[in-house]
Amino acid sequence: MKITTMLFVSEFEELWFDALQSLLGLRKAGLNHVVFLHVIQREKVAMRRGTGYLKQEERKLREIADIRFIDWAETLFEEGMEVGAHIAIGNVVPKILSVAEIEKVDLIVTARKKRGKLEELFAGSETSDLLRRTVKPVLIYNYLSQSGKVGEDPFERLLLALDWSVSSEKVLDFVLSLKGAIKRVEIIHVLSDREIGKLSKMEAHKVERDSKKRLDEVCDVFAQERFDARPHLYIGNAEEQIERGASEHKATMIVVGTKRASVWKERWSGSVSHSLAEKSELPLLVIPAEVK
Amino acid sequence: MAKKVLNVEDDPDIRTFVTTVLEENGFIPIMAKDGEEGTKKVREEKPDLIILDILMPKESGIKMYHELKRNPSLKDIPVVMLSGVAKRTFLRSQVALTEFGDETVPEPEAYLEKPVEAEDLAEILKKILG
Repeated sequence: MKITTMLFVSEFEELWFDALQSLLGLRKAGLNHVVFLHVIQREKVAMRRGTGYLKQEERKLREIADIRFIDWAETLFEEGMEVGAHIAIGNVVPKILSVAEIEKVDLIVTARKKRGKLEELFAGSETSDLLRRTVKPVLIYNYLSQSGKVGEDPFERLLLALDWSVSSEKVLDFVLSLKGAIKRVEIIHVLSDREIGKLSKMEAHKVERDSKKRLDEVCDVFAQERFDARPHLYIGNAEEQIERGASEHKATMIVVGTKRASVWKERWSGSVSHSLAEKSELPLLVIPAEVK
Repeated sequence: MAKKVLNVEDDPDIRTFVTTVLEENGFIPIMAKDGEEGTKKVREEKPDLIILDILMPKESGIKMYHELKRNPSLKDIPVVMLSGVAKRTFLRSQVALTEFGDETVPEPEAYLEKPVEAEDLAEILKKILG
């Protein structure tokens, strides 16, 4: 598992070149190929009564995307990187999936995308849709809408949220493969307050002790690979505590695992990764359990 | 015998434009829509000249050019770069690739920045191919 090729999806409204530049620290971990994708939403050029298909509009939007991508690509080419670009018309998620497959990317970078309110009620957001359908790691930028600016390298101080599942193992493998690009790793496990509340005091202490032991073991693995890693045990609602941990330890990015679930299961039972993808202000890296 | 010219270009409008220029000037056009397909066509068709775009899916013209010029059996095929990417960037990228341990490659026979006039393209092709 290594990031050599990254797919950077931009609508030009929320994800700009500064976001891409903030990720170039990944070159220390092997990144050498960036693929740009801009999807022109079908409704922007769709058939209209009296005017037909807006070919001229399509040409204009393609030209705008082309000019921006050339400008971004020039900087990367001059640094010796390989760059590719795709400009497509259609629905965003299927296009992301298809380009990710064609270009054999190792990481998809995108911004949080929302659908119309009614569509979101039934189908969820485009971000959730993407997370449900891809087997590639996805980095979601959420915070641009608030500050309008991209800060430091998101891979500098990671907060790894582990729940000891298969996807947590994938998270560990993935982060270990990024050696060189990461300065510090905060490893967090959240015990459910509802589950702990059902246990006797002795049983609760045992669960806490076991969790701390596992966290220490994970930190030892990171230490062997010369990462600066610290364990943290929290109790409460997983999503809230992960956000709290990220804030307390000044993380630059949250990393979580996820596993595929059906649309309805996802909508009604929810998952920590999807919920964070919708709400977290920090960049969120989601590693699917199915990642190869 | 008419000479074969391979155009590696992802934009269908530019492909049509170049095809028209080539046909009107007596050349045989061969088309490829990205660097990967372009490399395959170069090996299969052995064109007399290549017109190469830079920013494309799958494989960029920068990588394809570098590979062509490092291949003993393909390095003598003249290349005309036709791109929206500035020539300065192209030259710097080739130096950057060299810095990463590759061999130095020569400059292309011509570098045209888009958009190009049909007459200008035809003139350069005739000059190179005789």
